[in-house]
Amino acid sequence: MKPAPAAETSSRAAGETGLPLLRSWPAVYGLVLGSFALWVGLLVLLTWMFS
Amino acid sequence: MNALDFVVLIGSMLGIAGYGIWRTRGRQDLASYLKGGQTPWFAIGLSVMATQASAVTFLSTPGQGYASGLGFVQIYFGVPLALLIVAIFFLPIFRRLNVYTAYEYLGRRFDTKTRLLGAALFLIQRGLGAGLTIYAPAIVLTTVFGWPLDLTIICSGLLVIVYTVAGGNNAVTVTQKYQFGIIFAGMLTAGCLLLAKLPAGLTVGDTLTLAGGFHKLQAVNFSTDVHERYTLWSGLLGGTFLMLSYFGTDQSQVQRYLSGASLREGRLGLMFNAVCKIPMQFCILMLGVLIFVFYQFEPAPVFFNPAARQLLVDSRSNPAPGATEGAFNAAGAGLRTELQNWLHARHAGDPVAAEHAFAAATQAYQQGEQIRRDAGQQIAASHAAAGNEADYVFITFILQQLPHGVIGLLVAAFFAATFSSKAAELNALSASTTMDIYRQLVRRDATDAACVTASKWFTVFWGLVAIGFALYAHLVENLIQAVNILGSIFYGVMLGLFVVAFFIRYVGGTAVFCAALAAQALVFVLYFSLTISYLWYPLIGCAACVALSLLMQPLVSAKPKNDEAR
Repeated sequence: MKPAPAAETSSRAAGETGLPLLRSWPAVYGLVLGSFALWVGLLVLLTWMFS
Repeated sequence: MNALDFVVLIGSMLGIAGYGIWRTRGRQDLASYLKGGQTPWFAIGLSVMATQASAVTFLSTPGQGYASGLGFVQIYFGVPLALLIVAIFFLPIFRRLNVYTAYEYLGRRFDTKTRLLGAALFLIQRGLGAGLTIYAPAIVLTTVFGWPLDLTIICSGLLVIVYTVAGGNNAVTVTQKYQFGIIFAGMLTAGCLLLAKLPAGLTVGDTLTLAGGFHKLQAVNFSTDVHERYTLWSGLLGGTFLMLSYFGTDQSQVQRYLSGASLREGRLGLMFNAVCKIPMQFCILMLGVLIFVFYQFEPAPVFFNPAARQLLVDSRSNPAPGATEGAFNAAGAGLRTELQNWLHARHAGDPVAAEHAFAAATQAYQQGEQIRRDAGQQIAASHAAAGNEADYVFITFILQQLPHGVIGLLVAAFFAATFSSKAAELNALSASTTMDIYRQLVRRDATDAACVTASKWFTVFWGLVAIGFALYAHLVENLIQAVNILGSIFYGVMLGLFVVAFFIRYVGGTAVFCAALAAQALVFVLYFSLTISYLWYPLIGCAACVALSLLMQPLVSAKPKNDEAR
């Protein structure tokens, strides 16, 4: 079997995102879900207002 | 197009391809050739986006917005949810096992026959889709510009083959960044110029009210009718499974995010897409809606497709083609007059007069649409060209309304989108053929250097297959729909294989292999006996594969193979 990349063995790589403000993965996933909910909500609002 | 447009088009396309070859020059080992190097997350994000968004996305989607409004955006509701699942569950396992292809993982988790089944399902559908990636934009652009179709397909296909063979996965990623830059610049320029061309005095509120009045802003449909193609529910459920199949099991995407320097880069690249995909598609559809508003104040052709216009003139069943065009133009003039009345009344604060004028405008619009429909029926019997009218809306607007230079930029954007998708597809087809077929069935002892050489030949092979398919694609009616449906039929079972592999430790290779074959047969039977939207088939195929695997496991003796792969 081929060895896994060295970066994968680092716990930091698995646990931290390296992004300012969004340092943990749950925070990034929360942002994704939040932006998704926001977009769907805005599209529902657009449909409701102009149909 | 004039000389300036051709300079922009040819200069940008050759420049990007040449840069890709130059950046990736020199000898490459198997890992860097097939998987790429230390790609940062932003480049991965753009690469994933550029691979999914082919020229059809930028040519046809504005036309879809023009014709049907924003409802198509619902198919992308599944993207963020699917990408979250891929980033959390799929990607860490792929990276931990350091696989070249997604199907290699199936081989480690189950057995060789299951790996070959997954690779075969991918190669069949993606091999056919690669031809469409070249053909679909070529047929539109050659119809409009009068270029020879065969020559356009061959030249664009060969250029992609050359830089993909030369640079492998690294060349694909490097060129996709700049190709997407061209696409973004072109679409942004078109959007800004379109806004500037809307009638003076038309406010944002007027524009949205007008578009909404003609039912173009129904972005979300709450209907539970499974026969309706685009609804909130088909987007959330069917769309999630379709996108999960695509991003999680299609090698053309898996290869993109496996090229990251680390797990972090791959994950962030996927999350970038999860956030940006819905707004991007909304903007492209909105461009079509704005073109619709623009053509309510400007004379529009009866047909945007020049071939359909010519058929209308040539049609023997239409004794007076000029009369059809005259009646359509008269309805359009009436529509413009009533819309001006509506604007004046609206700005004067007279809601009763505004309502009256809008009702008259709606009547004139419907009259024009009826004339267009009647003319379409006249020519539909003689040729299929009338069927894809929406594909020609955006390119017609570009040619009639935008200045030279910008026309070249936008045509370059369409070709850039073709090249970026096509290169990723060729690279993935080559990687899967080399690692899943060649190294498993033909030469198990092949060295890495031999695999690189084989991979280059397989890239050429799949490129020529795609060109050949594109050259004869006109023989297949409703090609785009046929390939989309083909993908939906196979994707569900592919996803089912991976869901069992990831989440159901109890099931072994023989059970899942038999279940996948049975589930695929079930999907075929259902497809030919039901009339539901094709978006539901990935969900059905996946559910059937998982359920049948659980039922079959007690009937077979083979134990799950490899704990490491779970």
